[in-house]
Amino acid sequence: MVLEKRSAHWDIFCAVVDNYGDIGVTWRLAKQLAAEYQIEVNLWVDDLFSFQHILPDLDPNLSLQRYVGVNIYQWKQPLEAKYRPGHVVIEAFACELPNEVKQSLNEQHQLAPSQVPIWLNLEYLSAESWVDGCHALPSLQSTGLKKHFYFPGFTQKSGGLICESSLIEQRESWQANPQNRFKLFDSLGLKGIETGHQVISLFSYENSVLLSLCQYLQQNSRPTHILVPKGRSLTSLQSLFPAPVEELAAGDRIQQGSLTIHILPMTDQQAYDQLLWSCDFNIVRGEDSFLRAQWAAKPFIWHIYPQDEDYHLVKLAAFLERYTEKLPPMLKVLIDALNTNFNQELTSETIRNWHELQDLTPLLLQHAQNWPNDALNGSDLAERLVHFVKNG
Amino acid sequence: MKTAHELRPGNVIMLDGTPWVVQKTETTRSGRNAAIVKMKLKNLLQDSTTETTFKGDDKMEDIILERLDCTYSYYADPMYVFMDSEYNQYDVESENLGDASAFIVDGMEEICQVTFYEGKAISVELPTSITREVTYTEPAARGDTSGKVMKPATIEGGATITVAEFVKTGDKIEIDTRTGEFKKRAS
Repeated sequence: MVLEKRSAHWDIFCAVVDNYGDIGVTWRLAKQLAAEYQIEVNLWVDDLFSFQHILPDLDPNLSLQRYVGVNIYQWKQPLEAKYRPGHVVIEAFACELPNEVKQSLNEQHQLAPSQVPIWLNLEYLSAESWVDGCHALPSLQSTGLKKHFYFPGFTQKSGGLICESSLIEQRESWQANPQNRFKLFDSLGLKGIETGHQVISLFSYENSVLLSLCQYLQQNSRPTHILVPKGRSLTSLQSLFPAPVEELAAGDRIQQGSLTIHILPMTDQQAYDQLLWSCDFNIVRGEDSFLRAQWAAKPFIWHIYPQDEDYHLVKLAAFLERYTEKLPPMLKVLIDALNTNFNQELTSETIRNWHELQDLTPLLLQHAQNWPNDALNGSDLAERLVHFVKNG
Repeated sequence: MKTAHELRPGNVIMLDGTPWVVQKTETTRSGRNAAIVKMKLKNLLQDSTTETTFKGDDKMEDIILERLDCTYSYYADPMYVFMDSEYNQYDVESENLGDASAFIVDGMEEICQVTFYEGKAISVELPTSITREVTYTEPAARGDTSGKVMKPATIEGGATITVAEFVKTGDKIEIDTRTGEFKKRAS
């Protein structure tokens, strides 16, 4: 058997479960590792059609293509392209590595243990306290190989949060010029948004509160625009539209009272960031948009991925505990209630919380601007990951 | 084969030809309902311990070692002494009991399973359910009877666990030794 010498590249494997979450996180990480650390990254994705939604230039039929320094491989079983052992192999969100890769790792382990790639399982983001105790622990394998669990998180002991090194600067620069948001709205085909109007981005799962929130905003004296892509949030708003939501197209809009709902085109990740920076309030979901909403330094509601036995509420509470730690008690209680009631689909309570928060917007905004610094704790995920690999 | 989620303190697993005794397990939930199991394992060949993490559905070979039904006799620091039906005594190191030590009390009558590796007692498994008396807990604040409101309680032996609010000092309660959780008030 001829053993291939380990190359310096990293492999990241991503199985797309949710349309944009898993691939959103891994794509950002791959780009950042390539751009900021000059690492050759191979990103293996099992659903390039979903990936194409956030990287419109991608050709879902190609086995291999390269964008911004990242090699994007079609991950099919069996692999179309041969796996070459690199310096690091990452299974994102506990996806199962292909058999060819596991076999290669085992062979390396038998013949030249020092040449085995560092094997990491990049886990889901959680603010729970147990993360610190589990982050970076080895996972002993029956073959003798060692995998490490890498947990993103909000503390210094955790694996950190994905945030490009210049992102905060870019956002501050963008937000300093009010014209940027209007240019963005124009480029997205969003009409009728004026200074003084309230703009809310909406990217959640289905939730019955959304319809009531829209009805509330219709009656509000301040004109409000909700920007929503086609998908799960829109399904909850079906009754507001004369046609089935499946037939709506990007650029369509409907006005009812003070509220205008705009159907957003899908954008790449940079434009989505800019959208979050440009809105007054963001309703986000899952992991990727949740984190980007925090970097946007705007108030937000997190619609967390639902879990059995309402366990997601434990995770939500753990995040809110951290997020609201420095807030005055009244605001802390309100933000907590708004997010919790929204996630529990308690309609009247959520609307009441929303109403009560309107007078506190300046405080909320100030907190949202301070939060990224607290959340990052001095270093982002890519920096900590590279450091871990270097010292591992 | 057992999944990481099914393993409990006292089980012995084989990883890369090395037997490890599970001393402690802690299950948490990651994203999308996936379980993460953190374990403290003791290497039976090198007498060293390590902390490790598994996916809940990771499968591993559990090995069946010699086991004997025993009862707890006494504690001789740092050993817990157990005795079989023929009055043979076996010493088990405190750290090898893991979380089970919280439920070991003088005079306990439950039958425990002592596991041996190469003639040495290496771990003890308690019955899945045990009954212990609550030595102290705050009185219920609102007379909740649903069992959903919880509070801390100290049980005989000194361990503190979370119990339903209706539990009173002096009550006997059933505890799940796999999780350390309160099950119900014993009749």
